[in-house]
Amino acid sequence: MLDMHLNWTIVSLTVSSGVVLLLRDWRLTVPALSINYLSVAWFLAQQQFIEPDLAIGNLALSTTIVVKVITGLAASAILGITAITFSREYNLEDLDEFSLAELRRAARRAQRQRASEPFRFSDYVVPFWALVLAALASLTLPRLYPIGGQTVDFAWYWLGLTGLFTVVIAGDTLKIGLGLLLVVSSIDLVYTAIASTVQVFPLALLSLTTIVLSLSIAYLSGLMYGRLKTLDLGALYKR
Amino acid sequence: MAHFGKIMAYVLLTAFPVVLGASCFLLRKETHLVVGLSVAALMVQLALVLFMPVDRPVRLLGLTLNLDPLGRLFLAGFPAVTALMVLTTQRLPHGEHFVSIALVIIGVASAIVLLLQEPFVVALLLVSAGLLSILAIVDLPTGAPTLIAPRLIASALKYLVLMAFAGALAYMGFVLINVYRPGVFLDQIAPRIVLALMVVAFGVRIGLVPFHSWLPDLVEDASPLASALIIVVLNTTGLLFLISVFQFFPALVSENERGLQLLTWLGALAALAGSCLALVQDCPRRIIGYLVVYNAGMILFGLATTTSIGLAGAVFEALNQMLAVPLLMVSLAFLEQPNGHSLKTERRDVLWRWPLAGSGLLGSGAALVGLPPSSGFASKMLLYEVAARRGAFLLILLISSSVLAMLALARIARDWLISAPGDQPGSATPLLLGATELDLPSRRSLTPEPLIAAFVVLTFLGGILAIGLYPQPLLATIADVIRGLTFVRGEG
Repeated sequence: MLDMHLNWTIVSLTVSSGVVLLLRDWRLTVPALSINYLSVAWFLAQQQFIEPDLAIGNLALSTTIVVKVITGLAASAILGITAITFSREYNLEDLDEFSLAELRRAARRAQRQRASEPFRFSDYVVPFWALVLAALASLTLPRLYPIGGQTVDFAWYWLGLTGLFTVVIAGDTLKIGLGLLLVVSSIDLVYTAIASTVQVFPLALLSLTTIVLSLSIAYLSGLMYGRLKTLDLGALYKR
Repeated sequence: MAHFGKIMAYVLLTAFPVVLGASCFLLRKETHLVVGLSVAALMVQLALVLFMPVDRPVRLLGLTLNLDPLGRLFLAGFPAVTALMVLTTQRLPHGEHFVSIALVIIGVASAIVLLLQEPFVVALLLVSAGLLSILAIVDLPTGAPTLIAPRLIASALKYLVLMAFAGALAYMGFVLINVYRPGVFLDQIAPRIVLALMVVAFGVRIGLVPFHSWLPDLVEDASPLASALIIVVLNTTGLLFLISVFQFFPALVSENERGLQLLTWLGALAALAGSCLALVQDCPRRIIGYLVVYNAGMILFGLATTTSIGLAGAVFEALNQMLAVPLLMVSLAFLEQPNGHSLKTERRDVLWRWPLAGSGLLGSGAALVGLPPSSGFASKMLLYEVAARRGAFLLILLISSSVLAMLALARIARDWLISAPGDQPGSATPLLLGATELDLPSRRSLTPEPLIAAFVVLTFLGGILAIGLYPQPLLATIADVIRGLTFVRGEG
């Protein structure tokens, strides 16, 4: 077994990314992503991979970790705000009659779909088994391909795999974004933890990429909702 | 002082197009002004690149900036080709923000080329450029009365996910390189894993089979100019990135003899699969998309040989693609304009309706599949030569894929360009009793091919033919550039 006597940061990191993979409601998954970012930062601070250069009360922190927290919360906030507003309305006066009718049709279709979609446990079967697979792989891979310490390896494998599986089983655009952000968070963690010299510029650019990624997802989600009145990926391929 | 000047020159090369892109964004409603401004900016960018000395590294913010000869070759090509594409936006449908996004992407591509010695930064810049190009993919023309097609959103989403994964894989590869210590940790597996990660990241980026699904979708759904921008600038930058990875981490080449051998086969098979897929498509746009996929396989083959001839072939092929793909897309966009027949009628004689654009499509297709006397023939010959040295079977594989690609091109020509029209002109409707000529529907008068189309198509075609007929100067330049790469083996 891994050499981890109940490490609460790891527990929090594991549970939060597990929630992102397993659940579908953005009201739970987006806050879970925020918690995940906080857990990763807490984990990095705890392990002291980077020399602390900042004191907040009794807490010694590195500026890099503070930047990571801000980035993570900003990315989560972008997706959260997108989920709340979900709209990039067209300039209706520019549209012709056909386009207006098509928009009305899309709204009705989405309304019908929402009404006919009750909660079903069967929707969670694939995410559940994906979660189990991610757990098994994250426990096995650190022994087969060790890169950092066992704890670090478990953490980044888990984040990367839950992110990957989230993208694979995602049913809506927002969830794809959550999965991609988990993957990026995974490589950020492994770089910070094991790189011989952590350079500031790549880390800063990684933070910027995280925010641009969430902005892109937010933009595409808004575009899709404006057009189809739903974020369901299936609607993109309906004739 | 000279050091400061060099730094400023490098910063200018990156910041100038970005700032001009921002200005074009503000002026985006003034199409003619934006086109003029951006073409002038791109010409200035081209001059900056050409006059900039090579191999003079400088340090800025802890990063090494350098312009190597190979980088200069491509950096000179990007603004020249983009300027020609921008010129066509006067007559072709394009997104409201196409010009500004193109300028910003040129700026980011310049930064990537200058920072090739900083792999972590380059991997992330490539992702950022990919994310930026999403805006070009889903861009609608100003005040468009239509809605965005759901399939276009799907293509953009697919592109976004794959580019993010490509970036993550490349970044992970560099993390492994960072922890790799010969003789100690991960000694046996690290070079193999890193090479695999890099090749998959590169394969996703250039649309190599089996990571290609985004490319035909993009070509089919997005505006041809946006597709051309992505293929020409971002895919080519991906090639430079992989070459620089081999250059700065020679262990990936020296300790992966079998891996590279496998890659040459994978490249050839990817080219074959791409051309087979091109042959079985029905939509001309998808055929074109798969021809680019076929070309990606050829480029990987040349690169994976790591020989001077193979690499020269890969670089030459990338340059050929830089000319052929924009011409292909511009011609396609002109050919898709109203052609005088009803929308329900499939017109099969488009070459006669739009002779210049039709010739552009055929000429660029010929360059892409390597028909003489185009530039593609010269580059393909280098690849065939290196394949012949490695065995007859590999050569047969490459030639078969090219023949299939030619058949796919012939199919486009037969089904769309040179056949008899799908509908025949009907007999003139006789005047009925009591009707006058004013009661008849007015005759449709179609505009001839715009002058700008003629200029752009002829310029590209001239370039393709000139390089195809007289490739020696370009070959000599490429050979010079390759001589500076330490991972290249002497074979050939």
